[in-house]
Amino acid sequence: MNKNILLILIFALCARSVFAVSDAELDSLYNQFHIEEVEVTARALAKDVIVPQTLKGAELKRLNALSVADALRYFSGVQLKDYGGVGGIKTINVRSMGSQHTAVYYNGVQLGNAQNGQVDLGRFSLDNMEQIQLYNGQKSDIFQSAREFGAAGNVYLTTRRPYFKDKERVHVRAQMRCGSFALANPSLGFDVKLTETLALNFDAEYVYSDGRYPFRYRRVLPSGEVAYDTTAIRQNGDINAVRVEGGLHDYYSTTGFFRIHAYNYWSERGIPGAIVNNVWRNGERLWDRNNFVQAEWQDEWFNRWNTRVLAKWANDYTHYKNYDERLLPSNNEYLQQEVYFSFANKVRIFNWWDASLAYDYQYNILDRKNLLIEAVPEHFNRHSHWLSVATAMNIKEYLRLQASVLMTAVQNDKSSITNDKCKFTPGIFFSLRPYPAIDLSINAFYKQSYRYPTFNDLYYTDLGNANLRPELARQHSVEVAYRKTDKTYHIDLSASYYYNRVTDKIIAYPKGQQFRWTMLNLGTVKINGVDSKADFSFFLPLNFTLRARLNYTYQTAIDVTNPEDTYYGHQIPYIPWHSGSVVGGLDWKSKRGDHYGFNYSFIYVGKRYCQQENTVYNEVLPWYTHDLAVYAEWNIRQFWLKANFELNNMLGQDYEVIQNYPMPKQNIRCTLAFRY
Amino acid sequence: MHPCLQILKFQIVLCICIMLASCRGDEIVYPTIGTHVTDEVRNGGLYVLCEGNMGSNKARLDYINLHTGDYYSNWYGAMNPTQMKELGDVGNDIQQYGHRLYAVINCSHKVEVMDLSARHIAKIDISNCRYMAFKGDKMYVSAYVGSIADPDMLGSVYEVDTATLTVTREVKVGHQPDELCVVDNKLFVCNSGGYLTNRYDSTISVIDLTTFTEIEKIPVGLNPTRIRVDAQKHLWVCCQGNYVNAMPSLVILDFTHILKRITTSCSNISICGNTAYVIDNEANTLRAFSTIDFAEQPQPIDIKNYEHPYGLLATDEALYITDAKNYVSSGVLHCYGYDGHEHWRALTGDIPGHLCRVTGEYSLAPDTGSHEDVHRYLAHVYEYLPGMGQFVNELPKYEEGDDAETMCRKCEQAIANNAGGLVCLGGWGGYITFGFDHPVENKEGRDIQILANAYYMTGSTEYGSSEPGIVLVSRDANNNGMPDDTWYELKGCLYDNPQTNHTYQKTYTRSGDTIQNPFHKQPYYPQWLEEDEYTLYGAKLPSQTVKISGQTVQKILDFGYVDNKPNNDTIGSSFDISWAVDTYGQSVSLPTIDFVRVYTAVDEINDPTGEISTEISGAIDLHIE
Repeated sequence: MNKNILLILIFALCARSVFAVSDAELDSLYNQFHIEEVEVTARALAKDVIVPQTLKGAELKRLNALSVADALRYFSGVQLKDYGGVGGIKTINVRSMGSQHTAVYYNGVQLGNAQNGQVDLGRFSLDNMEQIQLYNGQKSDIFQSAREFGAAGNVYLTTRRPYFKDKERVHVRAQMRCGSFALANPSLGFDVKLTETLALNFDAEYVYSDGRYPFRYRRVLPSGEVAYDTTAIRQNGDINAVRVEGGLHDYYSTTGFFRIHAYNYWSERGIPGAIVNNVWRNGERLWDRNNFVQAEWQDEWFNRWNTRVLAKWANDYTHYKNYDERLLPSNNEYLQQEVYFSFANKVRIFNWWDASLAYDYQYNILDRKNLLIEAVPEHFNRHSHWLSVATAMNIKEYLRLQASVLMTAVQNDKSSITNDKCKFTPGIFFSLRPYPAIDLSINAFYKQSYRYPTFNDLYYTDLGNANLRPELARQHSVEVAYRKTDKTYHIDLSASYYYNRVTDKIIAYPKGQQFRWTMLNLGTVKINGVDSKADFSFFLPLNFTLRARLNYTYQTAIDVTNPEDTYYGHQIPYIPWHSGSVVGGLDWKSKRGDHYGFNYSFIYVGKRYCQQENTVYNEVLPWYTHDLAVYAEWNIRQFWLKANFELNNMLGQDYEVIQNYPMPKQNIRCTLAFRY
Repeated sequence: MHPCLQILKFQIVLCICIMLASCRGDEIVYPTIGTHVTDEVRNGGLYVLCEGNMGSNKARLDYINLHTGDYYSNWYGAMNPTQMKELGDVGNDIQQYGHRLYAVINCSHKVEVMDLSARHIAKIDISNCRYMAFKGDKMYVSAYVGSIADPDMLGSVYEVDTATLTVTREVKVGHQPDELCVVDNKLFVCNSGGYLTNRYDSTISVIDLTTFTEIEKIPVGLNPTRIRVDAQKHLWVCCQGNYVNAMPSLVILDFTHILKRITTSCSNISICGNTAYVIDNEANTLRAFSTIDFAEQPQPIDIKNYEHPYGLLATDEALYITDAKNYVSSGVLHCYGYDGHEHWRALTGDIPGHLCRVTGEYSLAPDTGSHEDVHRYLAHVYEYLPGMGQFVNELPKYEEGDDAETMCRKCEQAIANNAGGLVCLGGWGGYITFGFDHPVENKEGRDIQILANAYYMTGSTEYGSSEPGIVLVSRDANNNGMPDDTWYELKGCLYDNPQTNHTYQKTYTRSGDTIQNPFHKQPYYPQWLEEDEYTLYGAKLPSQTVKISGQTVQKILDFGYVDNKPNNDTIGSSFDISWAVDTYGQSVSLPTIDFVRVYTAVDEINDPTGEISTEISGAIDLHIE
C-alpha cells in the first residue's frame, strides 16, 4: 500500500516540476492530436447539445488499451464489467442503468445482440479505430436513424476512413504486438484510392493468447497473520481470433457519400470460469462467427433536405460446449440473423429550425439448437419498428433546443403488437451558452428509453417469460462545460449531475418450484450521480506537450423496489460509489517530426458489492491499477514507424472486477507499427 | 502561474486525496457475526448450510448455539480461516454422523469433513456430489456425474470409508441421483433426471450394500428428488413432476409396492416421530401426514407469507423452516413450537437450504493449534470438596490457614504428574475436579484412565475393594479455563439400574461431625470451609457390599466407575468419553473434554472399614504416549 502512495507522490512531484517550466510562446503540438476528422453531415449544427466524451486519433493510441473496452474505462460515468484476460467478456454500463441500456454503433449502425442484448466490447480492436465517443442520452444530432433515439447511452465506434494527401494512392499498415501470456497480435491493412472520390480500405487482425496468467488470493486474519496465500495460473483462458473487414467509400460530392462496410470476426476461446473453492479449472469452450455487411448513403437536396439510408445484414453464430466432465454436458448452437433498414430525413425549415423524420425496421431470427438432444432447432423471430420525429432550434447564439419522440413497436414471433410492446419515448435537450465570447455552456436533458426484453429473457429454456414488459429508464441530466484553447494550452472541463430512475427492471426471480428461475419485471432503481472530467494540454517549450485527463464519478444507485426486502435502499451490484481515472503524458516532438513520450494512467474503482444486499459478505474491495506506456514514432520520408512498450498493472495488484474472476497481475505489451 | 495550471494542480491534489482516502489494505477473511436471537435454552446447536448461488463461492455454514441463543453467521469461515476460498460453491447437504459433521459442497465437487464444531478435518473429492447417507463405517454419496464420457449421462453412488475418508466403491444408478437413504442392508436412491429437461427420470434405484450393485429400479413418479424413511420403514419420496403438466406428488412405498400417492407439491420433507412434514411450495403451506395411516393432519404452522419456503427440519423440540426469499439475498430461519407459535427467527446467508441439529456440547472456540509438548498425566486440580469422612483433612493433610485453593495445590502435589499419592473424596458426593494440560480427545475406545486403590479379593475378580466414584466430564464451552460449564455423566453399568437414585443429595454439617472412628481422631468435616454446612448433589449407587468368609468386600462393578477395578486392569480402570450423557440420559457426542470430575457414589458406612469413599491417585490421557 505504501508503495502505491509513494508512486503517486512521485508522479505528483514530477508533474509539479514540469508545470513550473515557463509558459513561453512555443510551437504548438496541438494539431498533432487533431488529425482530420470525418464530418458526416454538412451544415450540421456546429456544436453538440450534449457534449460527448471522445477519445480519438493519437490520444487513443497512446492509452494502455488493447480493445475498445479498455479505452472506455477512461470515460466518466462508465462501469466496465471485465471477466479478465484477453478473451474475457467485457461489457459496459453507463450511469448504472445496466449494460443493456447502452447501444454500441459501429460506423453509425448499431451492433445487435437480440439474444442477450449485450455487446462484448473486448472483441473490438483499437487498431483500426479512429474515434470512440460516448453520448449520455443520445447523440444530439436530430439527423440520425430512428433507432439511435432509443437507447439510454450510446457508444459510437468509428473506424479509420481512408484519407489521402495529394498524389498518394496507396497506404499500407502493418503492426505486430506481443505481450505477456503469449499474446501475439499481428495486423495488416491497406487503403487504395480507386478514383478521385472512391477509396477502398481493408484491415485484418489476428489475436492469440494462451490466457495463462498468474493470480493470487491472499487473505489475512484480523490480527494481521496470513490466513492463506495462494498463487495459481488461470486455465482455459486461451483465445484465437481473426478479424477481417473492409469497405468502399465514395464521397462523390461535398454533400453526398456512399459507403459499404463488410466485417467478419471468427474466434475460438476458453471460458476460464469462476475460481471457487476446490475448482481451478473449467472446461467451457466458445466459438463465435460474426459477419455483417452494412451500407450507408446520404445526400442533400435543395440545400435544405437531407436524406440518409442505411441497410445492414448480420449473421452471428455461436457454439458453446462444456467439456467439463464433472458438470452437465452441454453443446449448444445459436444462430442469429438480422436485417436492418433505416430511412432518415431532415429538413431545414428556417435557418434556425430543423426537423427530422426517420423510420427503421429490423428483423431478427434466433435459432437455438441443443446438439445433445435435439435435432431441430428452436426458432424465434422478432420484427421491430421505430419511428422518430425530432426537431432542433437554434435561438440566436444563446440557446439550442432539441426534442424528439420515438415510437417503438416490437412483435415477437406471431404474437400481435400489444400496448406493452408499443411505446412512445420523448426526449428534450437544451444547451445554453450565456456568453458568446466564452465557451461555457449549460446543457440539460430529460429522456425516456425502453430496454426491450431479449430473446433470452423471453424464451430461455425454463427461464424465459414471454409476458415481459420492456424496462423503462428515465434520465435527467444537467451539465456545465467549459472549454478554452490558447496557443499554449487547451482545457476542457465539465461536470454533470444526473438523476435516473429505472423501473420495471427485468430480473431473474425464482419460481415456485425448486431452483427454477424466471424473468420478471421486478425492480426499481434510483440513481444519482456526478460525473466530472478535466482535460488539459500544455504546449511547453522545446516542443514538449504535457497532457492530463482526469475523471471522477460519484454515484449512488439504490434499489427501491420493495421496503420489505433486506436490500431495500442498498447500492445495486457492481456499482462503486467512487470511481475515476487519471491519465498523464509527456510528448516531445523533434525537429524532424519524430515523437517520443510516455503515458501514465491510473484507474480507480472504489468499494462495491457483488449482490443486492450490502453486507460484509458481499463486499468487493476497491481496485486500482497503474499503467505506463513509453513510445517513439519516427517519420522517415513516406514511412512512419512506431514502437510502443506498455507495462500494465505496474504494482501487480491482485484484484477482481467481477467476484471470483481474478484479473492479471503485472503484464507487458510491445507494439511495433509501420505505415506507408 | 497560469490559472489553468492552478486548476490542474488543484485537480491533481484532489485526485491524490481521493486515492489516499481510498487505498485498500490487506484483504481480511470474512468475519463471523454473532446475534442473540432467543433466550430459550436448549442443549447443543443447529447448523444451517446456506447454498449460495452457483459461481458465487458463497456456500456458508451458519451456527446457532441453542444453549446461549446466539446465531453466528459464517461459522465455518471463522473456525477455518486458513481454508483457501472458504467453504466453497453451493452447499447441498449437511449431516452429523458420529463425532463428525459432513457437508456436501456441490460445485466445489467435495464432501467437507469436520468435527462437530465445524473444524475442517478433510475433504473428499467427488465430482458433482449431491447428497449423503450413512451406515456403519460407510458413507454413501450420490453424484450427478458418474464415469467420464458416458453417453447415457448416468449418475453414480460412491461408497466412502469414514475411517480412511477414501472412496472404496462406486455403483452406477439412474439419471442425476439426488437424495438417498439406507434401510436395513439396502440403499434407495432417487433418480431425478434433473439434467434432462422434458425427459426426467422416474425411478428409485435399490442398491444391495453387500455386493454394492443395483438390484432393481422401482418406478415411482416423474423427477423424484427426496427420499426419507419413517419408523415403520415406509419410504417417502418427493416427485417434482416436470413443472409443466405432470403434477408433483408425494409417494409412499414399502420397498416394493406403492402404498399411497398424494398429489401435492413437495419441495422438502422432514419426518419426526409419526408425522411427515412436507413443504407444499405451490400453495406455500406446510402439510403434515401421519406415517401410520398417511392421513393428512392439521397444518402445524402458517407459512403463507413466506417468499420461498425452502429448508425444513422437524425435531422433537421444534420445527425449523427457512425462507429463501429471492435466492440472491439473505434468507430467514424460523423456529416454531408444535403449538404453531414462532419462537424465534434469524437472518441467514443466501439460500438457507439444509439444517443439521447437533446435540451435546462441543468446543466452539477456534483451535489455537499446538498440540506439542503435552503430557499424558493429570496436570491440574481445580476443585476438591470431600464428603465427611475418616480420611478428610488427612489425604491431603489440612494445616491451619489452608483454604480451598491451597487444598487443591496439595491435591496436585499428591496426584498430578504421576506423583502417585492419594486423595480421598470422603463420603457420598465428595468430589474432585481435575484436568490435563490439553483437551482430551474422544477417539475410538477408552480415552482416560483414572488411577485409584481398588483391589480384587484374593482369588477373585468378582469381589474386592470397590469404592465406586462416578465420572463427569465437561468442555470449556465458554473458554474461560474454569470448570463452570455443563457436566455430562459417563454412563456406567449401574446407570440404568432402578436402584440408582439420580437425584440424591446430602448435607454435611460441622455440628454433625461426631461419628468418630478410633483410628482417625481428626475432625471429619473439611476444616478449610468457612460455612458450617454444605450440600452435595448427584447420583447414589446401590450398595454392593457383601460379607464373604467374614470379610467385608464389594461386588466389583462391570464398568464405568473409579476406584472399582485395580489400576493394572487398564481397561477396567479407564473411561470412554463416548459414554457421556446429558441430564436426561441422552447420549451426547463430545469430540474433546477439558475437565473431569469424580465423586463418591455410594453412601454407606461399614464397620470396621468406615465409610465407602472413593480415592484417586492420578489420571492418564491414553492417547498421548
